[in-house]
Amino acid sequence: MTGDPWLVRALLACYPSGWRRRYGQEYAQLLCDLGVHRRPRLIVNSLRGAVHARWEQGGFMSTRSPMTTAVWATGLFTVAGIAFQKLAEDLTGAAGGVYVLLVAAAAVALLALVAAAAPTAMALLRGRDAGAWRYVAVPFAGAAAWYGVLRLALLLSQGHGVHSAATITGFALIAVSGIGLVVATAWAAATVLRRVPADQPTRLRPAALVVLAAGMAVTTVVAVIWGARVHASDPTVFHGDHGLLATPFVPSWIATIGLMAAASVLAAAAGRRQLAATR
Amino acid sequence: MVDELGRWAEPGLLVLASLADGDKHGYAITNDVAEQVGVSLGPGTLYAALSRLEERGLIEGLPAEGRRRPYRLTAAGAAELSAQASRMQRLATLSLGRLRMASA
Repeated sequence: MTGDPWLVRALLACYPSGWRRRYGQEYAQLLCDLGVHRRPRLIVNSLRGAVHARWEQGGFMSTRSPMTTAVWATGLFTVAGIAFQKLAEDLTGAAGGVYVLLVAAAAVALLALVAAAAPTAMALLRGRDAGAWRYVAVPFAGAAAWYGVLRLALLLSQGHGVHSAATITGFALIAVSGIGLVVATAWAAATVLRRVPADQPTRLRPAALVVLAAGMAVTTVVAVIWGARVHASDPTVFHGDHGLLATPFVPSWIATIGLMAAASVLAAAAGRRQLAATR
Repeated sequence: MVDELGRWAEPGLLVLASLADGDKHGYAITNDVAEQVGVSLGPGTLYAALSRLEERGLIEGLPAEGRRRPYRLTAAGAAELSAQASRMQRLATLSLGRLRMASA
């Protein structure tokens, strides 16, 4: 394959390694035979094939452990959850007890993740990898930096209207740095989970990841019900103009639910893979 | 890359049909399908189909000839192709018969 044109090598590199080991030689030959460098449609088709192969082999996630996927799913869910909380902050009682159920389901999901990560935390405390402690500092340092951004944003927007450029800039700063904090925390957590050797009780992690996915899914469904109930009780809320995320309400609501659903699917995939790995 | 014939040009079925008259490697399958059916199977589509068919035991890879590996239809693959072709034939007969009746 080293003698192949760079385009053939590049297209082949898009496929997962296991696939390349099995089909790489013959596929490279086919690309050469077809004269792929003269036919853009074939390049696109090859790229689509690579996406398909990665999807079929679970390659988008197979390079990560199920726990790593679960951590990133939780990060995504956290961003969605914070956005939802901002959206719902003035309406928490508007849909009866539904909001309480939503918080409870999210709490169950969080506890499940903590349970899944507990053996690694114990191993870290026992000093199995002293170098991993510096990753634990990431969320704390990140939170301190985010608090600094928050104070700066408040200073920027002080005395300005809700929809002024200063307030929107401040809000964007808080949101972007907040997402950065979540990403950094998820990365640090995933790194610690990968590095620190922990003895995993056979059934704990798969069960915990299944509960994590179920908690996220229930939260997502309840968030849908919550929005429908709020709309039923007071349709004007959906056209409110009282804040940034709440304006417009419906797209924000749909976007947060979409993110929650995506996180739930990711967590479910992680749970399924963890179950398969322990069978 | 599967054009005009829509779902009847399902790549897996085209590959099975191409292998029905003998072992072929990827490039030969692509050419055969293009000449016989008028469908151009892209390399990504072809190998997605080949790997799926191989995984299901409908075809098997033979020892490579240089960098080209021929594939062979298995007994299960022949049975699958026969069942699919019979189903399509029944539908074609039904459709053409009814169209003739409608236009008479």
